[in-house]
Amino acid sequence: MSKEVRIRYAHYLTIVLELAISAVTGFMAGAIILWSLGYNPWYIYGIMISMGISNPDYLLSKATPLLLTGLAFSVPMLAGVFNIGGEGQLYIGAITSLVIAYYTGNAVLALLGGFLAGAALGGAIGALKAFRDVNEVVSAIMLNWILYFSILYLIVDKLYNPLMPQQSVPVPPSAQIGIIPFPGGGIHGIFFIAVVAALVTHYLIYYTDLGYVLRVSGLSPKSASYAGFNPKKSIVYSMIIGGGLAGLGGALLIQGYVHSIDTTMSTLYGLGFLGIGVGLLGWNNPLGIILSSVFFAMLIIGGEMVELTAGAPPELADTIIGIIVIALALPYAYKILINYVRRWRERI
Amino acid sequence: MLADILSLISSTLMSMTPLILAGVGEIITERSGVVNIGLEGILLASAFSSTIVTFQSGDPYLGLLVGTVVGFAAGMLHGMLSVYLKGDQIIAGVGFNSFAYGIGVMGLIAYWKTFGASPKVNKIPYINIPIYGSATLWFSPVALLAVIIAIIAWWWLFKTNSGLKLRACGEDPRAAEGMGVNVSRTRFYATIIGGTLAGLGGAFLVVGWIGQFTRDISAGRGFIALANVAFSNWNPLMAIAGGILFGFFDVLALYLPVKIQVLYPGVNLTAMSYLFRTIPYLGTLAVVSIVIKRVRMPRALGKPYIKE
Repeated sequence: MSKEVRIRYAHYLTIVLELAISAVTGFMAGAIILWSLGYNPWYIYGIMISMGISNPDYLLSKATPLLLTGLAFSVPMLAGVFNIGGEGQLYIGAITSLVIAYYTGNAVLALLGGFLAGAALGGAIGALKAFRDVNEVVSAIMLNWILYFSILYLIVDKLYNPLMPQQSVPVPPSAQIGIIPFPGGGIHGIFFIAVVAALVTHYLIYYTDLGYVLRVSGLSPKSASYAGFNPKKSIVYSMIIGGGLAGLGGALLIQGYVHSIDTTMSTLYGLGFLGIGVGLLGWNNPLGIILSSVFFAMLIIGGEMVELTAGAPPELADTIIGIIVIALALPYAYKILINYVRRWRERI
Repeated sequence: MLADILSLISSTLMSMTPLILAGVGEIITERSGVVNIGLEGILLASAFSSTIVTFQSGDPYLGLLVGTVVGFAAGMLHGMLSVYLKGDQIIAGVGFNSFAYGIGVMGLIAYWKTFGASPKVNKIPYINIPIYGSATLWFSPVALLAVIIAIIAWWWLFKTNSGLKLRACGEDPRAAEGMGVNVSRTRFYATIIGGTLAGLGGAFLVVGWIGQFTRDISAGRGFIALANVAFSNWNPLMAIAGGILFGFFDVLALYLPVKIQVLYPGVNLTAMSYLFRTIPYLGTLAVVSIVIKRVRMPRALGKPYIKE
């Protein structure tokens, strides 16, 4: 092995080690909490993981919106913007797709509408940051809440289903996305589209000029402006792409899986926030995010199953994910730890 | 009319309190150079723990104290992560928000077997000031405390030597170190103070105001407090004004539908009330994007200080 290859392997190994430490920390802290609430953590974890992956179709359906909100977090992150607004961008994508699907019955138009609505919202947050110095975290959270209540109003007052008043009108069958037929079986439609979106994003970020500009702006806005790039444009573009991806996630969720929104918004709530953890655990890399979205989907389904079989609260998944995210904030600490271990080994 | 105005003022004195407490705490934290975006989570965690304590003991003052201690602990955690472990402060805060939400809902289910809200607990009595006839002004003693804390914080940050040192850590940590200030320790303590004040605000939500814990009790107030920090230009005195402004939006959201219902008894406002509930967030968004221009944040904000 040449030295260069060895250095690269060491780099990847460090990343994998950091991710593993974070996940283990999350599960350990979760175990302590479960134990203090009077549950047997190993029994609960057993159910969580085995039931989480028992139904592949459900697993991929759950992973789809997470994959896209994960990308929605990571693309702006690479450009130095913290997109905490994936939640609102997913909402607006979902409602736009629902309305277009209901009135036109056209699947492609509805997906496109969801993407564009999310992109417009993301772009607005980016423009407020770039041109008015508005903290993107504050504006995004305010927009999340504004959309949350506005959509509730729309569903309860305008789009309610006369047959099932606790739900919105459904997506007509012509606009639904199911199994895409393929030689030798079929593929899960919405997950397939999500993976294609991740691959396109990967290409965009690592193999195009735009992606290069975004990454340079994220690493050092000063170098970007010396090189003649406008960092403000990078902020807006990255948020347009990120917002569009989250909007697409909302559209895919509506057209491919839930087909309507309920009047408590439980079908949509939280998927955008979880995207932050998905993006971080995927090391802000679109290919890594594909994997981490499936992992998070497993945790969430596991949480639901735990509720049904053991009576433990499903929010266990939120708690574990929260701790994993906190642990992922500490790469510097892991470097210190790894260096310490290395020095200790050399001494022996 | 007078009763209406007094009731609006009294309600605003309630809703401003957590925004001032969390906002002033965050101003102290950010002036030292640390961002804590986990205010929302601290409000939730302290509201939850003060509910449990008050439920068990029946003493709301003990609940207030324990909620504040939980805020202290959360500030200490964030201080450890961001100052000594040099973690990414924004990510750590977001993680804490998710963690606290999970704990709050899990606790609701584990303790009371409900998904939405805890049982009612005892509250700290209001101070009532009769103004005219039956019209009275009422507010929580904690609201008064919040204003006093904001004034003390302003005096401390801008009129004392130790306040100057704290601000130096947020502006230019290297120069502060040269002045003989222990930057890490100052930032750690400032983060703990910020968490403690947010914890007091979270406990107030339950024992001073609403009287029970609900899963959405914080309702974005931690983030509105962050907006208040920028609005105040990192000045605790202005944070009082910001608290009143943002708190007033909150009151309008609840007051308008009730008032309309009284004036037009025939209208059905069930669906419309959702639109009214966007007012605090729309108002905050409008204020941060239109009114605020050219704020000057502490220069070293959010950057870990790593000694060579």
